[in-house]
Order: sequence, then structure tokens, then C-alpha cells
Amino acid sequence: MITAYKCKACGQMMYPYHYRCIKCGAREFDKVAPSDSAKLLTYTIIEQLPWGFDERGRVLGVIEFTNKVRAMALIDVDADRDEVKLGMKLSVHWEPVRDDYGEKVYGIVCRPA
Amino acid sequence: MKPVVIAGAGMIAFERRDDDSLVDMLAMASLRAMDDAGLGDHPVDAVIVGNMASGLFNHQVSVASALVDKLSLYPAAAERIENGPASGGSAIKHGYQAIASGMADVVLVAGGEKMREVIGPRATDVVAYMAQPEAEYVYGVSLPAMAGMFARLYMKKYGVTAKHLAQVAIKNQANGLLNPYAHIHMKITMEGILTHPDSVVSNPIVADPLRLYDCCPVSDGAAAVVMTTPEIAKTLSSKPPIEVAGIGQATDTHALHEREDPTDLKAVRIAAEKAFAMARCAPQDVHVAELHDAFTILEIAESEHVGFFEKGEGAKALANGVTSLDGHLPINPSGGLKARGHPVGATGVAQAVELVWQLRGEAGERQVRDAVNAFMVNFGGFGNNVVATVLRRES
Ligand SMILES: [Zn+2]
Repeated sequence: MITAYKCKACGQMMYPYHYRCIKCGAREFDKVAPSDSAKLLTYTIIEQLPWGFDERGRVLGVIEFTNKVRAMALIDVDADRDEVKLGMKLSVHWEPVRDDYGEKVYGIVCRPA
Repeated sequence: MKPVVIAGAGMIAFERRDDDSLVDMLAMASLRAMDDAGLGDHPVDAVIVGNMASGLFNHQVSVASALVDKLSLYPAAAERIENGPASGGSAIKHGYQAIASGMADVVLVAGGEKMREVIGPRATDVVAYMAQPEAEYVYGVSLPAMAGMFARLYMKKYGVTAKHLAQVAIKNQANGLLNPYAHIHMKITMEGILTHPDSVVSNPIVADPLRLYDCCPVSDGAAAVVMTTPEIAKTLSSKPPIEVAGIGQATDTHALHEREDPTDLKAVRIAAEKAFAMARCAPQDVHVAELHDAFTILEIAESEHVGFFEKGEGAKALANGVTSLDGHLPINPSGGLKARGHPVGATGVAQAVELVWQLRGEAGERQVRDAVNAFMVNFGGFGNNVVATVLRRES
């Protein structure tokens, strides 16, 4: 799973890593593990994917974990895309999200909770 | 700083150009700008090329040096400026700095991209290299996908509808019909792209809620301007020099999800504020604008963020015809990225070329009346590096 970073000076949560806090510029952070549930802030359903994907209707979204960490994620709803709703509760998993010349690349995968 | 003007402007038609290399396109556009400026044998001190990805699209780098060679402009200094889709706007900014600092008297700025050398999904992938690598790109995100996620929130928050988005496309493609340099010359209607049942086929979803006609085409093309001092410009030709009155640039977080309010295009807002402050004028003083409508939602959102309209009022202004060619504030008279096309590194320069023509009264059938102040936004990444520019006709 991803690691998020909490600024020791101002408490700002960050992912991915920055060398300086995006809010106050401080350089020391506590590592934070995201919680295992999240809600969906926004999403899209991509019908024309870039090179390297042999699929249609891939759902990508921005999620906010219960502990306020935010990230982009693959939203796995099988065939039922009407199921996807803003604000919906999601379970969070760490699974392959793309195939890079035969090598599995891992990322955040969410399913309706 | 010394005042800086655009003395000459030129471009080639944006389209699929299989027979021309990137450097050929840059050279053809450059010659038009040089001739337009009446440059003759006057030396060019520096050549600046705005281009995003010649190495990936065309297997060629150091394209500014290659352009100097094609045009035999040695020993001019030469650099390529890369700032994603805002490479053109950034290249103009660097031209400005070279003249204003006194380091150069005459600078040729050319923007170009040859994207159709690769197949569509490859081009989408190369453009997606702008995204944050491990937090965004890895998921298969594309620029239309980022725009789709942005649009979903913006539409909900400000009451923008699919019909409003279609109105941007219809307006800009209508303007594009009047622009011989535009890639897309096709009249579209609300029925054809939205309300008729067959529109789900003719205008399919690309990245929900955005459809095909909400997205700019993938194009090849180049545009160029000659920048110099007002004094030198007057010795070259009798055409009115166009003052580069203000330039502002601003950045924002790389990853979309790290923006406190993902509907706030902070970099657009700050870049515009800086450009207007430098030009000592206000959004209300603008007579014509070229905004970066890579996606229809962006024209509406940018028109609000730069201060033309209050938040939530941009779509209404559009619907009321305010931003049409015959409206109070015409936006994208060229057809914008939507109709002119978006050869990434060319776009910012092409926006400036269009505005120079508008300010001089050389824009033909799409001429806006009596424009003195013109404004452009060149939007890099998904809004994480934005260049805004004010151009002005000397009165
Ligand atoms: Zn901090």
C-alpha cells in the first residue's frame, strides 16, 4: 500500500512524497498508512485508454481515506458502472493496476463497501 | 525592463501533415512570421522553440538548433522550451525576457508539435507522461480522464450542464469554419452532438462526462512570432507593432488530488492576476481572448478564473452569446484548441498569432471589432503550470 506523509510542523497530509511541505515548507514528516476504507470524491469512466491498456470503461477516481489521505485509485465495479456514485464508501486494496510488458504494476484498487 | 513588441506573426494550417517533419513545419511558420515582420536580412539574435515531446513523437531532439540550421540563421542562440501544453506560452515569455533584459534585439519564437506520427493511443500515452508518475500515470489516467474528473465536480458545483459544454464546441467549431488555419472545418448542431438519440454514436463518451466533441483533436502544426523592441519594429515594417503588455505564470500541485479544492484552478487565477497587474489593466478591459479549451469545460472554468465572469456565471455568459464572435467578449475567435487543433507546443504561439491578427484587424471573416487589449491563457499539465499573456495594440 502507499505511504502518506504528515507534516510534523503543521499537520498537512501529503501523498505522494514532497521534500518540503506543500503548506508550510517544513521538511520533517511522519509516515502515515492510509486507512482501509475511503470515500469517492470524483471519478471518470475512460472509454479510450492510452497505449498499454486493452480495455474500455475503466473507472478512475480520486478517493479520500478515512484518515484524510487522498489519492487517485482504480474503482473496480465489474460491469455495473451505474453503481458508481459521488461520495460512495469504498473498501481499499493493493492490487495490480497495469501490465508493464508482462510485469504487474501495483496500485490502489477500490470496491464499493 | 525595456518594452517588447511582436513585430511579425505567422502559422501554417493545423491538420495531419504526413509530408512535413516537425522542423519543416517550424521553418515554414517561421518564414511567414519573419516576412510579416519585414525582417529581411536583419540579424536574429536568438531562436526559441516551444515543443513538448519531439524526442518521443519524432525521435528528434535539439529542434531549436535544427531550426536555426534549416533557416540558416547562424550564429543565433537557440533553445527549446518545454512546459507541456504551455510550451508555446513559455517560449514567448522567454522571448520577452531576452528582449526586455537587453540581451537580444530580435528573437524568433516558434512553437510546434508533430503528434500524428504516432497512433492515437500512443499520443494519448505521451501526453499522459505529464501526470504524476506513481500516483496518477500508473492507473492509466489520460488528460481527458483528468478533465473528466474535474468536469464532474465543476458541473455539479456550478450548475454547468452537458448542453453548456456542447455550446462551447458548437461556438468554437463555428468560429473554426471562418479560420483557414483550423484543423476542424465542420459545423455541428446541438441536435447532432447531444439531443438526437444517435448522438451517443456520433458523439460517444471519451472520459465520462466528457464526450468526443468536448475534446480537442490531435494535430500537427506550427506557429511563430518575431519579437523585438518598438524602435526596431518601426524600422522593419509599417504594420502596427503589438505590445506584449503583461505576462503572468503560476504553478500548482502536480497531482490533482492534492489540491485543497480540486475545482479551483489556482494557477490560472494567479497567472491571470499577474499578467493583468503587469499590463496595468483589468479583465473588464479585454476585448478578445483566446482561452485554452483543450476540453470544453476548461473554456468555461478559465473564463471565470481569469476574472471575466464570477464563478458560476461563465456558462450563462456563454449561453447568452456574450462570448460569441459578435458578443461583448468574443472568446476563441480562432476556433480555439477545439477547432484550430492542439499540436501541443504550437498552441500558445498560435494563440498569440491569432490575437496579433485580431489586434491589427487582419483576422478576415472572424475579425472582432475595435480590439485594443487581448488576453490569452496557455494551460500546462492539468492546470499545474499556466502562462497568461496580455497583448495590446499601441494607440
Ligand atoms: Zn507543513
